Amino acid sequence: MPQATNDNIIHMDEIKSNKKQSKGRGPRVQGRNKKRPERHQVQQQTDTGPIELDKFQVKAIEAVLNGNNVLVAAPTGTGKTLIAEKLAEKVMGEGKGLVYTSPLKALSNQKYADFKKMFGDEKVGLVTGDITINGDAPLTVMTTEIFRNKCFEDIEDLENTAYVVFDEIHYLDDPHRGTAWEEAILFAPDQVKILGLSATVPNVREMATWIGEVRQCEVLVVEEFKRAVPLEIQWIDPENDLLSKTQAKRQVRKLVDKQKGSIQQLRQQHDKKKRNQTNQQRRGK
Amino acid sequence: MARALKDPSEIIDVIQDTLPALYFVFGRAKTEEMAFELGKQWDFTTYEEKQIVKSRIKEAEKENPEMFVHRDRAMLKKLLVQGIGYHHAGLSPALKRLVEGLYETKLIWVLFCTETFAAGVNFPAASAVFESCRKWDGREFRQLLNREFFQMAGRAGRRGFDEQGNVYIQINEKYPDETGFFNESKVEMVQGRLTVSPNTVLSLLMWKSDEEIEHFLKSNFSAFQKRRLLKQTSQKIEEYQKEIENLNKHFCEEKHSYSCPLIRKKLKRELKKLKSRRYRERHGTQARIQEIYQLLDSMQKNKCKKVNCFDASRGIKDIESKLDFLKYKRKQLQADAKQYTTDFYKMRDLLGNLGYIDGRTFYPRGKFALYLHIQEVFITELIFSGLIEDLPGDVVAGILAGVDYTPGRREHVQPPPYDIDVINELRAQLMRMKVPEEHLTWSPVPGYITYAWYNGEDFEHLLNNCSLQEGDIVSIIRREIDLLRQMEKAAAENPALQEKLRDIRRTLDRDQVRVLF
Repeated sequence: MPQATNDNIIHMDEIKSNKKQSKGRGPRVQGRNKKRPERHQVQQQTDTGPIELDKFQVKAIEAVLNGNNVLVAAPTGTGKTLIAEKLAEKVMGEGKGLVYTSPLKALSNQKYADFKKMFGDEKVGLVTGDITINGDAPLTVMTTEIFRNKCFEDIEDLENTAYVVFDEIHYLDDPHRGTAWEEAILFAPDQVKILGLSATVPNVREMATWIGEVRQCEVLVVEEFKRAVPLEIQWIDPENDLLSKTQAKRQVRKLVDKQKGSIQQLRQQHDKKKRNQTNQQRRGK
Repeated sequence: MARALKDPSEIIDVIQDTLPALYFVFGRAKTEEMAFELGKQWDFTTYEEKQIVKSRIKEAEKENPEMFVHRDRAMLKKLLVQGIGYHHAGLSPALKRLVEGLYETKLIWVLFCTETFAAGVNFPAASAVFESCRKWDGREFRQLLNREFFQMAGRAGRRGFDEQGNVYIQINEKYPDETGFFNESKVEMVQGRLTVSPNTVLSLLMWKSDEEIEHFLKSNFSAFQKRRLLKQTSQKIEEYQKEIENLNKHFCEEKHSYSCPLIRKKLKRELKKLKSRRYRERHGTQARIQEIYQLLDSMQKNKCKKVNCFDASRGIKDIESKLDFLKYKRKQLQADAKQYTTDFYKMRDLLGNLGYIDGRTFYPRGKFALYLHIQEVFITELIFSGLIEDLPGDVVAGILAGVDYTPGRREHVQPPPYDIDVINELRAQLMRMKVPEEHLTWSPVPGYITYAWYNGEDFEHLLNNCSLQEGDIVSIIRREIDLLRQMEKAAAENPALQEKLRDIRRTLDRDQVRVLF
């Protein structure tokens, strides 16, 4: 077990003296590429055991297990998928079907693999434009376009479906592909309930009102604004100094001014040169 | 747009305490160049780790012996051993998977990647670095949206590992004004983006009732948002109108008479103007001056509190200009609200003219197009022209690769050995029948790829005969497989054709092109 310390960084001299503690990660002197590995971070896992559920997750899971239409908006990496997983468990336990749609083929493939590990091969299927595996499975992963097509062409396929999960539902905003989401929401069979997972967007409630209006149902909204790990944004200026936002803005202004100045200078020089040339020409005449 | 790249080793020098890092770069070539530069200066892995990476590479190579052979991927192999990688859509699926796997097991310390890496599965890092904040969106270079930025930046900060996610944005010395500043509280709203495609119209007419179609045209998200906006605008207009009414209460009954200071002041101003050098000589000026004098003399000046009246009249003017704008906006919104209905009927008429449908009656072409989801009209016409049935399988495979394909500028593929004029003739003919060009998007460029692949050539042969990268080739072939599946479904009433399409699809779906899990 690695020690749980706040000091994540061990410098080279420390590494030298604590070779054993740092899991044998010593300085490497290796042929050509020994150039600059002087300082090396040693990663220390401050693992706190299994991650506890966040409040918003608890809220969303409860809402969805009670059979509501739910829209969840939370930043990336806060564990929205977990909500869908809990829902899938319940829906399948009741002998019903769940469709999980994702915006990209690669994502669908990944989700399919994940779900298969979780629920077993027979229970999970995959349908994308170019591949179909176990398409009648109770839990089917699809691209949103395929689900939209089923809402028209093969609506009987969805007879046993209780829920559809729209992962990254904010793709509704995509100029080329957004149509698929809209048509899917408008024409998903009446008995199908919706769980929408979205990145944080300012108008989730508007989306919920709309879905509620077109599907004539109530849509609950669960929002989370806090990131699991807060972000610290810094800027790196051309001299490789780290700057805060205000410093960066000042620096940018400085650089822009400098550029403008030099452009003006160039222009002046150019004008002068031209003037001299014309003068010379005149004199030549 | 060749820009001088800044040496990433210097940046890594600054942020070396917060690795692993995802280094976002907009441009595939750039990810490779920067990884190469960093590799000259840095080596992150220990001896043991190098051994693990090497064995992982060997393992992957067993299944795909040629994965590091082409397109300078040998360099990537070296870099991976040093704990450096790059990842973009041009990589072969096998290589992508290897890089992702190494990243997940913490054997890559700095990964240069494009936006796609953040769009997919959750690959967290300790920090995210932005080489620039501008991306090519298919039409132009533009600043990242707040939403896009935070999607990527949010990859920084691993739960249970890091106390904070570190995000670094580089300021470019040459283009400082392009530096990104983002605000998470100003993430863009989601807008409805419905478009009425041929398939939408056909599907609605085939499977949905009149009410449902009406519902679709009037209740889609965009219409919903516009309706809300319209309501707000109308409310605002009413408010303003009420305000004007209120302000009008300030005036007395004599407002319009010549005793009102407002009007007297206006007349006096006119008088002053007319007396100026510029006007006084003009024809009619003197008469007007006399007239004004008479008007002013005709009544006594009202001794009211004119200040209030002046303020009110100014206020009214202000509001009126705002009102004009709002009314214009309302008019536009009202027109927009009908847009989807117009689009729908326009498309229906086009499909009617082309002989696909007549009202809700479906002709063979219409029934076929019903199961297609891209370039519906073009594909249907290809089928009904008999070309797909008559031409040999390899040529059909080649032609279909170009559907909905727009080649890049510097893209080069060996020209296909078959005649493409028939296709262009067909497109020209359809254009004459007023089919918009966007429904006839086709390019001969990628043809050779699927033509050769159908004929059993190996992946290496494809790579040697074009400038495309592995990932692009795979995506061209998989797109065609997708299209072939749609066509197969559409061709249900023509078993021979269906069989032919299925055969092409099965021939294409092999080896390196197969989906990996």
